[in-house]
Amino acid sequence: MAKKKHKGTEAIKRRNGQLFLLPWSIGFILFFLFPLAQSLMYSFSEVKLDYGEVKLKFTGLENFRALLFENPDFIDNLTTSLTKFIASFPVILILSLVLAIILNQRFRGRLLFRAMYFLPVIIASGVVIEFLMRTNYSVQGLGVSSSLQEDMFSSTQILDFLGLPPQLETYFLSIMGNLMTALWNCGIQIILFISGMQAIPDLLYEVAHVEGATKWEEFWYITFPQLARVTVLVIVFTTVEMLTSKTDVVMETAYSYMQSQMYAESSAMLWIFFAVISSFMGLLILLFNRFCMKRWD
Amino acid sequence: MNSSDLKLNRYKRAEQIKKISYEIFRYFILFSIGYLVIYPLIYMISAAFKSPEDFLNPGIVWLPQSPTAENLKNAFKVLNFKSAFVNTLTLEMVSAFLEIISCSVAAYGLARFDFKMKKITMAALMMTIIVPSTMIIIPTVVNFSNLDFLGIIGLINKLTGSEIRLNILDTPLTFYLPSIFGVGLRSGIMIFIYMQFFKGLPKELEEAAQIDGANALATFIRIALPSSRVVILTVSVFAVIWHWNDYFLAVMYTSQNYPLAVSVANMIVNITSSVSTNTDVITATTMAGCLMFILPVLILYMFVQKGFIKSIDRVGITG
Repeated sequence: MAKKKHKGTEAIKRRNGQLFLLPWSIGFILFFLFPLAQSLMYSFSEVKLDYGEVKLKFTGLENFRALLFENPDFIDNLTTSLTKFIASFPVILILSLVLAIILNQRFRGRLLFRAMYFLPVIIASGVVIEFLMRTNYSVQGLGVSSSLQEDMFSSTQILDFLGLPPQLETYFLSIMGNLMTALWNCGIQIILFISGMQAIPDLLYEVAHVEGATKWEEFWYITFPQLARVTVLVIVFTTVEMLTSKTDVVMETAYSYMQSQMYAESSAMLWIFFAVISSFMGLLILLFNRFCMKRWD
Repeated sequence: MNSSDLKLNRYKRAEQIKKISYEIFRYFILFSIGYLVIYPLIYMISAAFKSPEDFLNPGIVWLPQSPTAENLKNAFKVLNFKSAFVNTLTLEMVSAFLEIISCSVAAYGLARFDFKMKKITMAALMMTIIVPSTMIIIPTVVNFSNLDFLGIIGLINKLTGSEIRLNILDTPLTFYLPSIFGVGLRSGIMIFIYMQFFKGLPKELEEAAQIDGANALATFIRIALPSSRVVILTVSVFAVIWHWNDYFLAVMYTSQNYPLAVSVANMIVNITSSVSTNTDVITATTMAGCLMFILPVLILYMFVQKGFIKSIDRVGITG
């Protein structure tokens, strides 16, 4: 009898769970899965708009072939956006981890600094950052007005003061520029890391302290492994965010295709790009698991 | 004084030096990176109030000599600020609100209950996080221009020979529909954050309520939600910011009733055509427009900032 009753409550629980997820499941199918399948179909067909109705004609791999072998810009754009990604990804990851560690410590003015570092979250995810990071405000050859990075460091005369040779100076400026762009993109990542660190039980640190571990060891043997799952989330978020930002070359072309109603070409392009992104993401997570997680197994 | 005391002293001093140098290192990093964060903001504010003469005067770096509201006025006009602002509120902010609610419901289901297909549901959720919304935007726009999900309207049209077409593009529904179901702009991440928090919430209270006869929905609303203020605040801040800044979806969904983010993104073209082609004026007007765009969120952030920063400590994501 008792067992039967138990089963009954379990069944109710099960139904409850499904009820809670019912709206989301409907939405997922209608507004995500269905369009995703359509987009896949578009990429394999010739799309014609006929009084607002979409007419598809299956053409097989034609769109992909045209993109990969006939479109001279596509491969170029793809490599450009990937090199940019590979160059700034580790910077973003390390910078946000370091800043999260610092901001998670107790020190004077912590709240103030935290408030300051979260400012990019508000601004950077938007269109504003593009204007701020733009090196010039020229439109259709109107001429260069100002470069923010140059302004920042030459107006304060730091570089002149140091007396660096001009080549080093430009190099320094480009590094600072990249660092700044990276910094403005790490707001959310810092938040994710901090809340990940908050979930680590204090007990672990107390034990380490008793055992006489140094801060460095504490980081490598406690903080870092405990952050593994958050790190995976950060990797996924950063990859998606960076490669699908408005400033990405491939995305820009895809959008211009969309606006000129070349739906098939645009879909095919996005699918190739997505395949590349997800294989990158998979590779990063795999590498992360292989090299970073092995130490504690 | 014996030698062990001396050693201890030396050790203490070494420790102290280590501590101080670390302190210096920390503030050095904090301030230098803080400079990188704050500089563009100050630049924006300063440029927004500069007159063309101030730009030409090399002696003026930060404080404009003759501060002018002309830039703000121009930006206000170019941005079509009034209607774009109202559109942002009615389109983006309402759908942010809907998303905050719908995501919490889905996340509670995933965090608290075991059911058939839970693994598949989780995989589907991960998919919504990983697949960029750009992937599905074309079919979504096509579908919204002719809303007919199960082919019912098409069937009616066929049977009665009528020509009914439900075009919901450029209406609020385009924004609300996905948000109501919790699959709107970056809903996946919001569900994920909610879920992590709900998992860490003690079950006892909810179980007690259920024994007392409350059903699952009542338990969720009366017991779980009130103790989740922290995570609701975090998710709300994210939702508001992301929706406020949303450009991609908005530009595809709207043609006339566009929100502020779209008009800010198209600002430079409009400035050159209607205000001036002088680069300094373009810079100043652009910065004024940017300032007007971020000011509402900035003010909002100032109000919730303390709670938000503290809430991050308490949400605790374990992945």
